Amino acid sequence: MSSIRISLLVFAIIIFSGTRTVFSQDARTILEKLDQVIFAPKDKQGQVKIILMKKGQEEKVREAFMMQKGTDKKLYRYTYPESQAGIATLSLPDGVMWLYMPAFGKPKKISLLAKSQAFTGTDFSYEDMSVGSYAQEYKAELLETRENSYILELKPDAEKSNYSKLILEVDKTNYYPIHIDYYNKKGILEKEADYRYRKTGKYWNAEEVTMTDLKKDHATRILMTEVIFDQNLSDEEFTVEKLVPESK
Amino acid sequence: MNKIARNIYTFRWLIIILVVLITAFAGYQIPNIQINSDVISNLPDEDKDARLLKEIGNKYGGNSIGMVILEAEDIFRPEILERIAQLTDTIAGISGVYSVTSLSNMMDIQTGEYGMEIGKLIDEYDLPDTQEELDHLRARVMSKDLYRGNLISADGTATVVMFTVAEDADVREVAEAVIQKTEALDIPEKVYYAGSPMMVTSISDLISADLITLIPISFIVIALVLLISFRTARGVILPLLTSAIAIIWTIGIMAISGYEMSMISNNIPIILLAVGSAYTIHVVNRINIERGTSTEKVITHALVYIFIPVLLAALTTMIGFISFIFGSYLTMIRDFGIFTALGTFLSAMLSLTLVPAIVSAMPPRAKAIERQRRRNRKSFMTEYILSPIKRLLYMHPKYTLTAWILLIILSSGGIFMIERSVNIRDYFRKGNPTRVAEDIMVSKFGGSKPVFVLFRGDMQNPEVLQTMMRTQEYMKKSPDILTTQSVVDIIADMNEALGEGRDIPSDRDKIEQLWFLLDGQEYLERFVSSDLSEGIILSKFTSPDNQSKKEFAKYMQEFILENSTETCSIEITGMPFVDVTMDKSLINSQFASLSIAIVFVVIIVGLILRSFIKGLFAIIPIVASIIILFGFMGYLGISLNIGTVLVASVALGIGIDYSIHIISHFDHTYKKGQDIYRSLRDTIMISGKAIIINVLSVSAGFLVLLFSEMVPLEYFGLLIAISMIFSGLGSLTLLPVILILAKRKNLLTKS
Repeated sequence: MSSIRISLLVFAIIIFSGTRTVFSQDARTILEKLDQVIFAPKDKQGQVKIILMKKGQEEKVREAFMMQKGTDKKLYRYTYPESQAGIATLSLPDGVMWLYMPAFGKPKKISLLAKSQAFTGTDFSYEDMSVGSYAQEYKAELLETRENSYILELKPDAEKSNYSKLILEVDKTNYYPIHIDYYNKKGILEKEADYRYRKTGKYWNAEEVTMTDLKKDHATRILMTEVIFDQNLSDEEFTVEKLVPESK
Repeated sequence: MNKIARNIYTFRWLIIILVVLITAFAGYQIPNIQINSDVISNLPDEDKDARLLKEIGNKYGGNSIGMVILEAEDIFRPEILERIAQLTDTIAGISGVYSVTSLSNMMDIQTGEYGMEIGKLIDEYDLPDTQEELDHLRARVMSKDLYRGNLISADGTATVVMFTVAEDADVREVAEAVIQKTEALDIPEKVYYAGSPMMVTSISDLISADLITLIPISFIVIALVLLISFRTARGVILPLLTSAIAIIWTIGIMAISGYEMSMISNNIPIILLAVGSAYTIHVVNRINIERGTSTEKVITHALVYIFIPVLLAALTTMIGFISFIFGSYLTMIRDFGIFTALGTFLSAMLSLTLVPAIVSAMPPRAKAIERQRRRNRKSFMTEYILSPIKRLLYMHPKYTLTAWILLIILSSGGIFMIERSVNIRDYFRKGNPTRVAEDIMVSKFGGSKPVFVLFRGDMQNPEVLQTMMRTQEYMKKSPDILTTQSVVDIIADMNEALGEGRDIPSDRDKIEQLWFLLDGQEYLERFVSSDLSEGIILSKFTSPDNQSKKEFAKYMQEFILENSTETCSIEITGMPFVDVTMDKSLINSQFASLSIAIVFVVIIVGLILRSFIKGLFAIIPIVASIIILFGFMGYLGISLNIGTVLVASVALGIGIDYSIHIISHFDHTYKKGQDIYRSLRDTIMISGKAIIINVLSVSAGFLVLLFSEMVPLEYFGLLIAISMIFSGLGSLTLLPVILILAKRKNLLTKS
């Protein structure tokens, strides 16, 4: 009698753990597909408008020209406001960042020692901005399959993450992110991001992203326009020398 | 008067029902009353220092910064740094906490190996644990004003985890959650809580504790005194009932009209219990004395006799309270004056309407009345207190007067020794956690009294920032300023990290571009306005001494006059400046409220007794008792503070009743044709008895405040009791002696 019970129990465990594995694999597959969509273009460039909002009111606007190659080379050259025009940042692999401020002349290397730090006044932290691959940086679990989307729970692999988990909603047909809830280390919902993707040419691109800090009632909207892909940007475009405008 | 008295009798049930209904309504409102224990919000807007302090506190969040202090032998130890990080995370997770700043999450900009390093002082995921790392951290932290004296004590034995409360959050709820969650962490180091949210919460708790414990004690004590004096249930229940109803009505009205309970007004119930019961005692006493064929006649006669005296006694007491409206600096003292006066009026009204209504609705049995009368004739009080007083006055009027004069001269000496205290810390008992935390702030972090220098000007203009930097340097030359903080420190740090030296760039473009890196940094909100049109220097003042505060004000004023320009106007404010004004106002307020009260009382008593001289006579025992009171304060080292500044006027308002009773009784009997001594005997034996009962019940009621958690209230209770005893004694000995000597002189002149 007892051996039957044990057999049943073992069977149940196998069945359930099997189901779990199936779900996990599904989640991972979804995340891999999401990575493929987000990071599909070899390179992209366009105009970026950053709008900071406090309690629903527009607070500050910044504009920049942006270039990106792969997942980890990014250059922003600010054009507005006038006082900050010409400031440029260059993000390189391994968290290396260079900053060029025209008034100071030479570019300076900046070490960002804290990932939780706000990215130049926005509601995005450096951690939010520096995701290279969701599939590689998070453990995922499929929580729910809705009519048009998947709901995934992501747990960061990195020990140093500021988040305990992310709840990610992924478009079922095109695999781009729709919404992300960011839970802090205490498990409290801290921020949420809403994405509006649009197909430009053969790629899906985030035309608008809004990150809201729920605690501070502060939001940042990033709008991207005039985006073009696959211009075969060379690595030379992402060098410190290139931070300084040629006329200088 | 007869008509009013008859109406009260006729509509007795209506009165009772109305009172029950109003009481139920007012009682229902009481839970809505808010407790406001924030001293800053009580500062008057008319004072420019106070107004600016409030404005800056609200705008830059200074009024909502709470602190958890950790004390250890050495903060720079791995396990302590870990606990700071843990505590920081815990507090950040509390809902209603807007931001948290501590060593573990403080932004730090420094020149690194390759360029500028923007990061945190401590990497919370890789805490320093080798001696070398710890030493490096110590050197870094101690080298900057932004940290040393603000986040960590100069000796490295105490550190602060600072948090700000979100605008729409309930300060008390957040502070309580911070305490509860911190306690739950079971931190082995000593933990203290400081800052405005913590202090406000702590004072609110003390106010609630006082209300919950002191009112019942006061009830019991006054009930006992009444029981001993009257030895009837009616004599105990009626005074307490009317006082309780007056308290409910007063607090109910406070709640409806949106006034808040402050650290001063929380003693309104006790004052009303002590003062309000007196009016009912007089009414009940009069009803007991009256003889008549029917209850209606007894009530009507009693009311006709007692209505005006009770009303006038209430009026003089109210003047004592209302006088605070004119002389006080803190709004809570004004509110206290208004509502205690209102409560006094309501007590008097209730004792003149509800008490006779109840007695007529439920008249005492004949046997009980007879028993009461027998008791009135012979008692311990008449044998052992009143008769000896009477003999003393007959035989030694001049000695009695001399004794009083000596006592007054002796006490006058003490007046010059009275100290003033405006330091909030002194309002808490020794060992009280808030007081201990304040002490820690003073000994480890250079004080707890904030000083703000406001600069109105473009925060990206090099000239403005350079003026701010010069101001900081100038301030630090004062012996009472240890550290200063402002956005200038951060800009200078960044400039240094960019290899341009620790200074403010002279080029505006550079400043504007540095701001690119600062945008969005939460802690900047503590230093500059969001539109960058103004900024502040934050500092703390170390000395509790008033003279140092005055000198510092002068020292800074000189600098401001010289450096304030159109492009950069400079203003300074802070608790030290408010303290100086508050200190000055204690004297002014004492003088103003006391003189207003004296003048009005002399006029009113003069009008009642139809003689200005009698008005002056009536005030003599009170003035004597107030001089003795101040003498006591001087010799015992009890300082004049926001609580004790109220005593003299309250004492005057309550004490004047004794004089009125003595003079009117004496006059009444003397005019009936009795000689001086017979008139005096009657006065002492009848009115004297009522006075002694009153002194005992009022003093007992006020002495309950000795159990208060707030030091000013503790002394307030003690001092009122002392002045009651002396004004009672004065009206029973000094006043009769003056009356005897005055009458004798009159007789001599006539003969």
